[in-house]
Amino acid sequence: MASLSLEGIQKIYPNGFHAVKDFNLEIEDKEFIIFVGPSGCGKSTTLRMIAGLEDISGGTLKIDGKVMNDVEPKDRDIAMVFQNYALYPHMTVYDNMAFGLKLRKVPKAEIDQKVKDAARILDLEKLLDRKPKALSGGQRQRVAMGRAIVRNPKVFLMDEPLSNLDAKLRVQMRIEISKLHENLGATIIYVTHDQTEAMTLGTRIVVMKDGVVQQVDTPQNLYNTPCNLFVAGFIGSPQMNFLDAVCNVKGDDVTLTVGKHVLKVPASKKKALIEGGYDGKTVILGIRPEDVHDSEAFISNSPDSVIESTIKVYELLGAEVFLYFDVEGVQMTARVNPRTTLRTGDKAVFALDMEKIHVFDKETELTITN
Amino acid sequence: MDFTQELSKALQELKRITGITLDVSADTPEETEHALIQIRCLCTAYKQKYNKTDFLQGLMTGGIPSYDIHDRASRLHINADEKRVLFLLETKSTDNMAMEILRNLFPPQTKTYLVPVTDNTIAILRPLRQSKEADNIRSIARAVVDTLNTEALAHVHLSYSSTIKTLADLPEAFRETSLALKVGTLFYSEQTIFPYNELGIGRLIYQLPVTLCESFLKELFGEDIPDSFDEDTTTTINRFFQNSLNIAETSRQLHMHRNTLIYRLEQIQKRTGLDLRLFEDAMTFKIATMVINYLHAERNQ
Repeated sequence: MASLSLEGIQKIYPNGFHAVKDFNLEIEDKEFIIFVGPSGCGKSTTLRMIAGLEDISGGTLKIDGKVMNDVEPKDRDIAMVFQNYALYPHMTVYDNMAFGLKLRKVPKAEIDQKVKDAARILDLEKLLDRKPKALSGGQRQRVAMGRAIVRNPKVFLMDEPLSNLDAKLRVQMRIEISKLHENLGATIIYVTHDQTEAMTLGTRIVVMKDGVVQQVDTPQNLYNTPCNLFVAGFIGSPQMNFLDAVCNVKGDDVTLTVGKHVLKVPASKKKALIEGGYDGKTVILGIRPEDVHDSEAFISNSPDSVIESTIKVYELLGAEVFLYFDVEGVQMTARVNPRTTLRTGDKAVFALDMEKIHVFDKETELTITN
Repeated sequence: MDFTQELSKALQELKRITGITLDVSADTPEETEHALIQIRCLCTAYKQKYNKTDFLQGLMTGGIPSYDIHDRASRLHINADEKRVLFLLETKSTDNMAMEILRNLFPPQTKTYLVPVTDNTIAILRPLRQSKEADNIRSIARAVVDTLNTEALAHVHLSYSSTIKTLADLPEAFRETSLALKVGTLFYSEQTIFPYNELGIGRLIYQLPVTLCESFLKELFGEDIPDSFDEDTTTTINRFFQNSLNIAETSRQLHMHRNTLIYRLEQIQKRTGLDLRLFEDAMTFKIATMVINYLHAERNQ
């Protein structure tokens, strides 16, 4: 397998469209890297540049230390899996997996060995004689993966490979891909717009927006310490709650005022606000739904972080309940225990876990307190 | 010039396509040349009459009269009155891999015809038997592109025509796909699939006469037509347009102070006379840059 280095990679199309801007990333051998971001953020373009399917307008791409900018895609030792995979309808599973190797004039015995190895890894051994129409969606997807595996590439590039599958199958295939990564010990670069896929599969995640890398980090760090408002809002479902708040510094005390609610900032967060000169300024307060509590014990222990509102929507999801309510005209979500007694229309009191708040500069949208 | 070898090749070709073995004896080089021409004409005539690929090639390029289409199509067992869509694929690779992959993606049972147009262009005439397929032309196109990307690791562009109901519409469909491929690669180079009915303003500009484009630019910029802008300016303008002329958002994304952005926009105004902060000027500028791109491409051709 292989390591990759992307230094200052740029993509500017002939019509002037700047799709990827100054992309820098070092990928270690055997890493599972995820490119995630909204549609049009440049994640697929970056993947296609690594594959050689798009010319690189600027910067250097290295695979295992060798510059690959001008190397033909077929000589880069990569394999790709796309969203709109099509299996050859008249071929068996075996032939579908072998076809790419036959085209490259690989000896028959070697093809046979590679197909059988891939079939074993993907648990397709019993299906090798079947035609695609006799396979389920998940089995077809595994055959598509098999076509990539038989090439034994240095790097696997996957562009939203699960997007065409239904929700249940997607969860199942996510587990399969994760196992595959473990079994193959492969370097995988995986593009998705689905943050659940990103969080569950990746060893590191690259969050992109408008062709610019926003943050590269482990799933846990992205969730706990997002570097800006975009990352904070993009990672996490339901997304983080954001409220405009005025920062007030009085001696050693720092408070955030949201309308009539005054919230006391804990010691661990206040230093950045004082030193950043935010006294009197409006900042953005972010808090994840699970850090908004409705339990009486938490509320009585946190008298300085209480907010009041009326429940607009009650959503029971079985293991948890989402409560939707407005604070100063902004919709907020609380993820609470299903034993909650709150229902739609009830007056409710919540307490925020102030140790878990995120504060962002309103102008630059960068995080202040992380 | 000795035509003996050429004649032998032509006879082999005749045997390959018709199964007929001919023996030609010629005494002089003139006679050999004459025989060669005759055999080649015979091959061409046979191909045109009995070969599906040649028939469809001829039909696409308007080489077959409309009164002859149904008759020849039925002799070749092609249903002339079937709903179809024409795809035109352009690939950078010149090896035969793309054709081989397409042949397997669309086996004979699918009644899809693959017609080589040039060394790196292939037309795909695909029937749309179910209404579901007609709605999913884009996903068929996506599957073709993704499969070629995966299997051949080849960069491809694909255009497709409007749906046609009879083979008589094929020349028009071919014109549509050719235009879509040219307009798409010129104006929408960040995309790989170009449907004929989604070419937007690019279609309009592409069909304008060069002289009209030149006078439009002259009217706008005078004699000093900006050939191109430096990279920073291009990036600034594109990002400003992508953000719907929003100064705050653009300056934030470009990591520059809003006053710097305003200064840059004013410099562009000084140079072009267009204030990009105003919708009408921004629209004029966008069209002008597309026209400049088009003229560049025309000159390069």
